Amino acid sequence: MISQQAKDSIERIFLYSARTRLPVDSSDACDITALDAQQANTALASHIVVLTISSIAFRFLLVLHFNDDQATRDYYLRESEERSLAEALMEVGNLCCGAINQQLVEFFPDLGMSTPYQLSGACVPYLTELKPGYLAAFRVSIGANVQLGATLCICASSPVDFVAYVNEAEESTGELELF
Amino acid sequence: MAKVLVVDDSSTVRDEVAGFLRKNGLDVDTAVDGKDGLAKLKASPGIRLVVSDVNMPNMDGLTMAEKIRGELANASVNIIMLTTESSPAMKERGKAAGVKGWIVKPFKGDAVLETFRKLAS
Amino acid sequence: MVDQYVIAAALAGVAWGALAGLFVHRWWYRKRAAAQRQTTVDAQSTALAQAEERHAAEVRQHEQQARELHALVDTLRDDLAQQSVSAEEAREALNALHLQKDEWLQQATRLSTEAGRLRHLSATFERWHEQMISLMSQNHDMHAKNNELSSIVRHVLIVSLNASIEAARAGAAGRGFSIVASEVRSLAARSQELSKSYHDSLNRNDLITTATFQDIQAGGKMIAASLASVEALAGQIQSRLEQATT
Repeated sequence: MISQQAKDSIERIFLYSARTRLPVDSSDACDITALDAQQANTALASHIVVLTISSIAFRFLLVLHFNDDQATRDYYLRESEERSLAEALMEVGNLCCGAINQQLVEFFPDLGMSTPYQLSGACVPYLTELKPGYLAAFRVSIGANVQLGATLCICASSPVDFVAYVNEAEESTGELELF
Repeated sequence: MAKVLVVDDSSTVRDEVAGFLRKNGLDVDTAVDGKDGLAKLKASPGIRLVVSDVNMPNMDGLTMAEKIRGELANASVNIIMLTTESSPAMKERGKAAGVKGWIVKPFKGDAVLETFRKLAS
Repeated sequence: MVDQYVIAAALAGVAWGALAGLFVHRWWYRKRAAAQRQTTVDAQSTALAQAEERHAAEVRQHEQQARELHALVDTLRDDLAQQSVSAEEAREALNALHLQKDEWLQQATRLSTEAGRLRHLSATFERWHEQMISLMSQNHDMHAKNNELSSIVRHVLIVSLNASIEAARAGAAGRGFSIVASEVRSLAARSQELSKSYHDSLNRNDLITTATFQDIQAGGKMIAASLASVEALAGQIQSRLEQATT
């Protein structure tokens, strides 16, 4: 029910959103590799952050996998070690999913996004219980040594078909729009 | 006396935004959701600028803005939304709720510092 | 004298020649002029005939045009009659529309109010969200309790192992005890399996609950956004209807 070009489009949108929102500094390296289909519903780390985008025809889940290790803490918590790594990753996930939302809203005008929630990596295999029409996993390497994972999951209740190419020049974030 | 109130359920965002504004000489207080934001605004009449997220538990930012103008009858405090939401429908709702401006995250402090200073004075 | 006669004769001859020539010339000239006159007359007759023919054709054309003009006048007369009827109908329709406009204005106002009211559905979603947080925190408690149970079971296994060892040391006297210890061990093993399966169920539950409630939260926002659009459109219709003057 989800056309191949819709799947390709969502992947393009995710790659762009991840590259521009997951790193703390835009100049940091961000390498994303797709994993093969068998690994689509495996846990890629011990903790996950989940976000949902809902539209009338489908729902989209973004799962960000991370480990509570020194490399990740150093990268995302910078100065303040007392801050919660989970909260930092929830905000990063929120930014990434927000960027995906902004791209999708051009094709699906009625869209809503949830707030992020933290769960255990052991929950990931149960994504199949949602009966997704599309499930794909990626490994994300940020900066020198931060390893994250990402899983995209789409459950569709009616046919989903669209073509999206990301216009990389159209970044208008951070600007204050006065009413 | 705090002049700016930063409202967001993420401690990361609160630290980032409030920290940046404080570093630049502004007096900042924080709240964790819409309900908390309303309470803090009621308790501190000196607040001139509210910077708030939209998606928060307990009470979202737009409902909080509506209540600031409605129940709190505060028509003078400037409200700026700082959120990942960018849909025109949301912005319309913000405008109707008396919100003064909209920033799509991520927060770029240098670009908005001067405007924030003006709105907080 | 001969010369004079010769000259006179010559002169006379010349004169007769000239005269004859003149007569011939004049006769030939007259004949030619007559022929020319005849040609001219013929040409003029033909021209006249042609002119008469053209004239007749023009007359026929004019008669035709006159007939067409009459027909046109009749058609126009009919059109005018029809249009008078249409104008009357249009006037009646316009009056009906004015009445309808007032009705639509009322409907638009009602629509606008309704959409505005429904926006407050967000309060319901907030309630659901609170309940989700409560459920998730319960799940969290269940995880904790299950972990504790798991650790107790592991402990029981160790105790039962120790008990079996002690029972073996006690020899025959310890045999009864050894059986009990062994049963305890198998019970503990089953508990451990149950606990593991319970742990898996909790994880499955966590994911589905989170996904469902996030869908509700996001869905609620989608509905609120759609309603805001409807409210805006209804408001536009309302103001346009109010602006439309008679």
